[in-house]
Amino acid sequence: MINRYEETLYDAYTQVFSVEDVYYEHKTEHQHIIIFHNSKFGRVMALDGIIQTTERDEFIYHEMLTHVPIFSHGAVENVLIIGGGDGGMLREVTRHDAVTGVTMVEIDRSVIEMCRQYLPRHSNGAFDDPRLDLVISDGAEYVRKTDVKFDVIIVDSTDPIGPGESLFTKGFYNDCKRCLKDGGVVVTQNGVAFFQIHEVKNTAKCFGDLFRDWHFYTAAVPTYVGGDMAFGWGSDNPDLRQVPLKTLRQRFRSANIATRYYNPSIHKGSFALPQYLANEVGKVE
Amino acid sequence: MTQQAELKLLGPQYDWRALVEQHGSPLLVLDCDVLRRQYRLLAHALPQVDLYFAIKALPHEIVLATLYREGCNFDLATQGEIRLLENLLISPKKTIHTHPIKRDVDIKAALRYGCTTFVVDNVTELEKFVRYRERVGLLLRLSFPNPDALINLSKKFGLLIQDAPGFMDKAAGLGLHIKGLSFHVGSQCKNPGAHVRAIQACAELIHATRGSREIPMRMLDIGGGFPTSYDGSGVGIDAFCAPVREALAALPGNIHVIAEPGRFIAAPSMTCVASVIGKAKRGDRVWYYLDDGVYGSFSGLIFDHVNYPLFTLKEGPLHPCVLAGPTCDSIDIIREEAMLPELELGDLIISPMMGAYTSATSTEFNSLPRTHIIAINSDVNMEASFTMIA
Repeated sequence: MINRYEETLYDAYTQVFSVEDVYYEHKTEHQHIIIFHNSKFGRVMALDGIIQTTERDEFIYHEMLTHVPIFSHGAVENVLIIGGGDGGMLREVTRHDAVTGVTMVEIDRSVIEMCRQYLPRHSNGAFDDPRLDLVISDGAEYVRKTDVKFDVIIVDSTDPIGPGESLFTKGFYNDCKRCLKDGGVVVTQNGVAFFQIHEVKNTAKCFGDLFRDWHFYTAAVPTYVGGDMAFGWGSDNPDLRQVPLKTLRQRFRSANIATRYYNPSIHKGSFALPQYLANEVGKVE
Repeated sequence: MTQQAELKLLGPQYDWRALVEQHGSPLLVLDCDVLRRQYRLLAHALPQVDLYFAIKALPHEIVLATLYREGCNFDLATQGEIRLLENLLISPKKTIHTHPIKRDVDIKAALRYGCTTFVVDNVTELEKFVRYRERVGLLLRLSFPNPDALINLSKKFGLLIQDAPGFMDKAAGLGLHIKGLSFHVGSQCKNPGAHVRAIQACAELIHATRGSREIPMRMLDIGGGFPTSYDGSGVGIDAFCAPVREALAALPGNIHVIAEPGRFIAAPSMTCVASVIGKAKRGDRVWYYLDDGVYGSFSGLIFDHVNYPLFTLKEGPLHPCVLAGPTCDSIDIIREEAMLPELELGDLIISPMMGAYTSATSTEFNSLPRTHIIAINSDVNMEASFTMIA
């Protein structure tokens, strides 16, 4: 029986979790997944030695990748989630009553089944929402082929070294842009900027070539160690980033969603980038 | 004692005939007790050194699982070796990637597995790591040419130590951290002089770079080369390692020292059992044709420059004979001038010391399958899974 789990992301620095119980462990030729209990973070899921999500801090990540684009847009009808097999993103999107359709494209059905069973609080029943269109497919292939267009596309990818690699390419971002309605927005998980600046720069370069308006916004998620996690923002409608605080507050109030991290002030403030990051992506004020 | 009787004492003693009746011929018999004994001998001789078994010497899952349970770490070099480790759920924290030349896909595969220590010895390789610089720790492989080694490992790889400071400046300029040094003085060293000289040179470099460089080094990989005896003459590993221990004492205290033994651990652990399948009198000597040969388990005769001891279970007057392998190729000769009792079809030839670079480098030439490995004295249940742990 193991009693600790050590992340293998960096050679010279790591986080270690005590393991109170192992709920699930699965090893295939392609990946190693484990879900265990940690007294501080609740249930923790790790893939190939990298923490993916924990019950205690997942709300920060999921609220920021859903409510920021949806409240910025103001009239979202349909949302596309790429990845997100744990259901946390779906849970937050379906809290918006105005959203009439959610398409979720997950490459591996077994991830969904595993998370429904062992991380049930992440989806909290959202997989039963009648607005959900669940597609089991490669997200990159889906956006290359589909004719459906969306108001918001959320890219909930894994580490770029691994199965999520194709979700960090210019071709994929270009296909996402094609799947956006006029004035739509795509948001991406872009890693912890302090340690993974290469990924942020790569996305910045792609977005710079593709979108009239692009930027990054941030939130610190404790188990994504290293400080601020960067989220990519790409849209052809620059107004989405300039929505006044007052308007965001109206939208937030009328949506009547109880959040734990997101609020309109955090929303506005999250686009303020620290200088080291602004420098790297060419967004110095 | 006859030569035959002496040779028999070299290897472990089993009922070879019963093993062949049960498992067929040819056969490689892996004794896990010997693996454990060799690991413990070296670990005891080098108490301040963490051992990383060189998987390439004997890439077999029972070998890896047995050593893992002893506390051994692993030196891996390819994606295939990563798969072996992954299948056994061996923690990547217990591994380093030691191949000096890698493709980007190889680096990615190792990082996905969770192995974050890599070896470089040239600028082209260094540049491959720029995009992974936040994740990896790099060892600089140095070259110390060694005239005493049976196999020269300082020719194909390694940077000369006088070029190391410039290389480290280049790395620092690219934002890459050289966390330590590695070297391989060669295989089957006759004396520890080459190890000692290399350790002293590395210690000097590590001391010199302290204070003068932004990021001091913290690791030294002293490679392999620990000798093992193929002729029964016996090598005292503790005596061999005494000067090595002394040289290591000159390192700064916080340097993590590791070694990559392959042959020392693997070679004595496996014995090849082959059968006579043909017999012909040609000129003044008898040719015996065996069911294993240089394209199979005896591949080390060619690739590893090793001559394996061999004996039979027969007694009787010795005659000069030739032992040949089962393929059609004329190079497939195991021993040109053997002295053995008269053999008949089905008689067994036993070759101890066939654990390292034997099965590992065998081929399927002539569409002959590789020789089956059976494990004895194994305490690992390959069906039971153990969690990938820190």
